[in-house]
Amino acid sequence: MAVEVKLPRLGQGMEAGTIVRWLKSEGDAVAKGEALFELDTDKVTQEVEAEAEGVLLKIVVSEGEVNVGTTVGVIGAGDEDVTELLTTAQEGNGAAPAEAPQAEGDETAEKEAEEESKPDAPSDVTGDVEPQGEVEPQRDAEQPAQAVADPDSPTPRASGERVKASPLARRIARERGIDLGTLTGSGPEGRVVAEDVEQAASTPATAPSTVAAPSAAPGEVEVVQLTSVRKTIARRLTEAWEAPVFQLTVIADASELIATRERLVDLMREGEVKPTVNDVLTRIVASALMRHRPVNAQFVEGEIHRHPTASVGIAVATANGLVVPVVRDAQTKSIQEIAGVRADLVERSRTSKLQLADLEGGTFTISNLGMYGIDQFIAVLNPPQVAILAVGAIEDRPLVVEGELVIAPVLTMTLTCDHRAIDGSEGAEFLQTVKAYVETPALAL
Amino acid sequence: MPEVTYREAVRDALARAMREDERVFLMGEDIAEMGGSMAVTQGLLEEFGPKRVRNTPISEMAIVGSGIGAAMQGLRPVVEIMYEDFLTLSMEQLVNQAAKHRTMSGGQLSVPLTIRTQGGAGWSPGAQHAQQLEAWFVHVPGLKVVFASTPEDVRGLLWSAIYDENPVVFFEHRTLYPIKGEIPDELEPIPLGKARIHREGTDVSVIATGRLVHEALAAADEAEKDGISVEVVDPRTLQPLDEEAIIASVVKTTRAVTAHEAVTRGGFGAELTAVIQHGAFDYLDAPIERVGAKFAPLPFAPVMEEHVIPHAADVLAAIKRTVARA
Repeated sequence: MAVEVKLPRLGQGMEAGTIVRWLKSEGDAVAKGEALFELDTDKVTQEVEAEAEGVLLKIVVSEGEVNVGTTVGVIGAGDEDVTELLTTAQEGNGAAPAEAPQAEGDETAEKEAEEESKPDAPSDVTGDVEPQGEVEPQRDAEQPAQAVADPDSPTPRASGERVKASPLARRIARERGIDLGTLTGSGPEGRVVAEDVEQAASTPATAPSTVAAPSAAPGEVEVVQLTSVRKTIARRLTEAWEAPVFQLTVIADASELIATRERLVDLMREGEVKPTVNDVLTRIVASALMRHRPVNAQFVEGEIHRHPTASVGIAVATANGLVVPVVRDAQTKSIQEIAGVRADLVERSRTSKLQLADLEGGTFTISNLGMYGIDQFIAVLNPPQVAILAVGAIEDRPLVVEGELVIAPVLTMTLTCDHRAIDGSEGAEFLQTVKAYVETPALAL
Repeated sequence: MPEVTYREAVRDALARAMREDERVFLMGEDIAEMGGSMAVTQGLLEEFGPKRVRNTPISEMAIVGSGIGAAMQGLRPVVEIMYEDFLTLSMEQLVNQAAKHRTMSGGQLSVPLTIRTQGGAGWSPGAQHAQQLEAWFVHVPGLKVVFASTPEDVRGLLWSAIYDENPVVFFEHRTLYPIKGEIPDELEPIPLGKARIHREGTDVSVIATGRLVHEALAAADEAEKDGISVEVVDPRTLQPLDEEAIIASVVKTTRAVTAHEAVTRGGFGAELTAVIQHGAFDYLDAPIERVGAKFAPLPFAPVMEEHVIPHAADVLAAIKRTVARA
């Protein structure tokens, strides 16, 4: 009995995904749990596993964006006739299948082009004392001009010509929506390597993307296409803007916070990650959240879900846009443990290796722009969470302590609250606790 | 026993196994009074007597064949083949008998036989006494293949080989016998199929076996001076192979070099390369480089031998090719 392969919903809020490529071809045997195709969602790229075993009889959608629940392939016994099933499925899918033959055609053409450029295999090497790694030059004898192209004026590739790129470079380009054909490879023989793609990915991020971009040539408008991550940021933050929010700001003396962090650094063992001020804050905030359940909540379809544990999201800037991976159960972790988790999440954020699971289930978010010297700012909610804490830089400032004017390191924190779930007094009480914990971190334990 | 040689570590594993287990005994050419041509079994005849440390006629086929018989009868024989080049004379017994009995008998028989042997160039032994033939045996289902590179590893792995229910071809390297290393007082068995990361790095993974582990570590030190961070991984067991550890390393570093002393063509590096390209395809940022001996019978003349077998400089050159810029 043939089974349809449908585009799965991999996480909360996922409505569509982009099939990057199939890892199996029509006619291949597939085991249950084996990876079938690569799916690019608005958060991560993930392999989708087969839910049935048999033979992949038909690939209905070979690549491109499809909605959740769309039939993208069929698995069944080798000799099954799936015409009827497919007719039904295609009616359900609407226009999607029309793209399929086009995409398959392109793939074939690409393969053919590749075949043509392959040199003949060395015919006889028996008995040769051949040096290692010197077969390469032969490979490109036909196209020496491209191989030595002037890097300042990249030779445009003939249409249909295969771009020489490492598999890693191809994957990063695919994930970030970069056209390899526009890049000049810095690897041997002009091969595009990962670094070339990463540089290309970071360039638009540093250039202002407004219409009056000064870096663009006079009279030219620079158009920046939204990557799928950027699209998600745009959609979710627009949604967040609809929530009725209010902000509360508090300042705290950060002397003890700094001292605590310094003590932890002194106690650090080899192989451990150096804790940051933000790691200490994450721990403190987790304790405060446990004391103020209304703040540790999500607003979901007209209900308030108050959570029993604090899963604190930390906002991380990457070349590709903002991501907020989650430190789970932060209230049960030591600061040193939080530092370890945070370092791993940040590293994987920056190398595009986060899984959906790393991004889901946050109950609160901390956004820290202190390292940029920002005194204070207002963060936009990270829905469905009901509150977010914006943390500024710690700066020496005049402070009145018991009637005396002193200079102390001061931290400014601004809490944005969703008024549908939290009242002013609840937000204020939470912030009061956070301030007390910052000034005496031991209270958080 | 803080610091011992690789040779002493092999001897220690044999002696401990024989002390603890009556079933363990040794057979081989000149291993008794003479202590073996590489002096590995020196002193064992005195401790364990001629019944358990047995000299054999010069017939590799007979040595392995009687080992198989003893193993099937419930003993745990460790036979020594003086040079791995001579394994060729025992191929029928190894490939068609030892490797097959367990499956062909439906598990009624097993052949817990360990075949210790050594080889390797670097001391002008000529073409017939220095080959590295480990890849031949990896191709035979039913055999396990070990190639240890340090004193600690050789002891722990030999122990596991002796107690494995399958025939294990256990390769030692001639030039590693005198190297020293610290090993714990207690013998800790090292499971077969577990790789060892000798040095962590972020730019290139060198997957090396035998003598080339040490050449790779030297190359890694050199590369570091040029700002290239090299990870050195020794699979230690070639079959079963710790694919997971190797792939994880290359996924991290995005570049790979395989290195062994055996000739490159059809060598174990080819298998490693296939495993890596499949498991880490989307993470590879450069073609996988292979380092091995040039494709020639090993010359006797020292300068020519030096030219044919790989050294740290060859590994370093391969490392640099993987991070090259046009």
